[in-house]
Amino acid sequence: MTDYRRLTGAFIAALSLVLTTSYASAQQPDRGDEPGLIADDAYQLDPEWQKQVVYFRTTEAPGTIIVSTAERHLYLVQPGGRAIRYGIGVGRDGFQWQGLVTITNKKEWPDWTPPAEMIQRQPYLPRFMAGGPGNPLGARAMYLGTTVYRIHGTNRPDTIGTKVSSGCFRLVNNDVADLYDRVPVGTKVVIRQKPEL
Amino acid sequence: MMRTFRGGLLIGLAVAVLVGVLAVIYEFYDTRTLKRTVRRGEVLCGVNKGLPGFSIPDDKGNWTGFDVDFCRAVAAAIFNDPSKAKFVPLDASERFKELQSRKVDILSRNSTWSMARELDYDLYFPAVAYYDGAGFMLPRARNKETSLDLTGSKVCVQAGTTTALNVSDYFRANNMKYEEVKFDKLDDVVKAYDTGKCDTLSADVSQLYALRLNLSKPGDNMILPDMISKEPLAPVVRQRDDDWMMIVKWTLYAMINAEELGVSSENIDEALKSKKPEVMRLVGTEGNYGEQLGLTKDWVVRIIRTVGNYGEMYERNIGEKSKLKIPRGMNQLWNAGGVQYAPPMR
Repeated sequence: MTDYRRLTGAFIAALSLVLTTSYASAQQPDRGDEPGLIADDAYQLDPEWQKQVVYFRTTEAPGTIIVSTAERHLYLVQPGGRAIRYGIGVGRDGFQWQGLVTITNKKEWPDWTPPAEMIQRQPYLPRFMAGGPGNPLGARAMYLGTTVYRIHGTNRPDTIGTKVSSGCFRLVNNDVADLYDRVPVGTKVVIRQKPEL
Repeated sequence: MMRTFRGGLLIGLAVAVLVGVLAVIYEFYDTRTLKRTVRRGEVLCGVNKGLPGFSIPDDKGNWTGFDVDFCRAVAAAIFNDPSKAKFVPLDASERFKELQSRKVDILSRNSTWSMARELDYDLYFPAVAYYDGAGFMLPRARNKETSLDLTGSKVCVQAGTTTALNVSDYFRANNMKYEEVKFDKLDDVVKAYDTGKCDTLSADVSQLYALRLNLSKPGDNMILPDMISKEPLAPVVRQRDDDWMMIVKWTLYAMINAEELGVSSENIDEALKSKKPEVMRLVGTEGNYGEQLGLTKDWVVRIIRTVGNYGEMYERNIGEKSKLKIPRGMNQLWNAGGVQYAPPMR
């Protein structure tokens, strides 16, 4: 009898463990930011998301940034039909946007004040977080027009290539620092989304 | 009177039989590929015997690759079943003659479109499936950005290829010095590069990405984004077979247009409900282009549902989701940094 009871107990424990892990893994693609988590800057990105020079034909002037939300790539146009391509993380479905903006401000290790609408959706977020390694905005931020959106670094390099943000574009800290040094305030930024059906 | 009647009857009968026989002969020897294909119930595709990413069979004889998938798309458009494509491996030397002699219906075999090939073999290349060209692979540590930075390099190249000629033309045209390191076999070219006997290796860019996989440290090597020659790879059909040519051409263009319009295998059912005129014409909820091609209204839906749009076909076989990881580059859509451009379907 005791054996049976013990067995049943073990079975239930095992079952609940399986259920919680499968629940956790089902939740994983929707991971958000984790304020306070220190970025692992040695994280190895998949080749698709690593910075590289690619063929890129455009009538936009060198120095222009073109963001392709569907591809999860940010292109910095270079002379001679080339562009530097960076892997990015983009907004969740419903948090993607498009249009032409310019970079209006640049900050190193920016502070983070989540906008009111973000707090409303995710009440557990801090109201303010000082800039530094545990900050989800990462090493650099470039402000996009008058919007609440930024091109910024991250403390979650594993979210590059995914759609998890609230509309911002994130790069790994090394890449965002590289981009930061290449683009001045006033840089034209074109954000392209997948066409609607 | 009776005799003439009987004679007339006999003549009439003879004429009827003759017409019947001629009709049967005409039906069986009809040179129109679409008719032959439909009667046979499958599309015969001439493919490469084994080129990773483009066409290669596994040990069970299942074919995969970009060229293979394109042929499946043609089969899907006709039969609503991509498995109705049958693959016939062909050598480079025999491929055009085999197509000419009707051994296959279509060649989807990494073949460069050139004027001489259309003229010499009476063939027609309907549309460019993949823009390839000669390029350069070099160690990442050399930190070069363009082919123009390669002056003074030792260039490994396979002897007797068009690449060798292109390299010599390119360096001469730009007043750049270089040293050619030639080998007859491609394996020797790769070995020489991998052991540092040359500074760079030149071949067609699609091939460079495949060769890179076999190096001792693939990640330490990069392929320059520029190309020094034109190698537009295209499917091939016979001339004077317009119905068939139209199907092959518009199958490719439909896949490219689908990507441009955001229609993929994942959202094809939503696309069928779309009220956007361009999408409606593509999926056949408006217009009857499919019927005009000799197919059905939903011919594009059949292609997209089973094979996907151009981008899906690219990424799965040769792009970032494949082993090769060839960036889209020139094969990106015209409005996203590349030159892949399909005429509109209207």
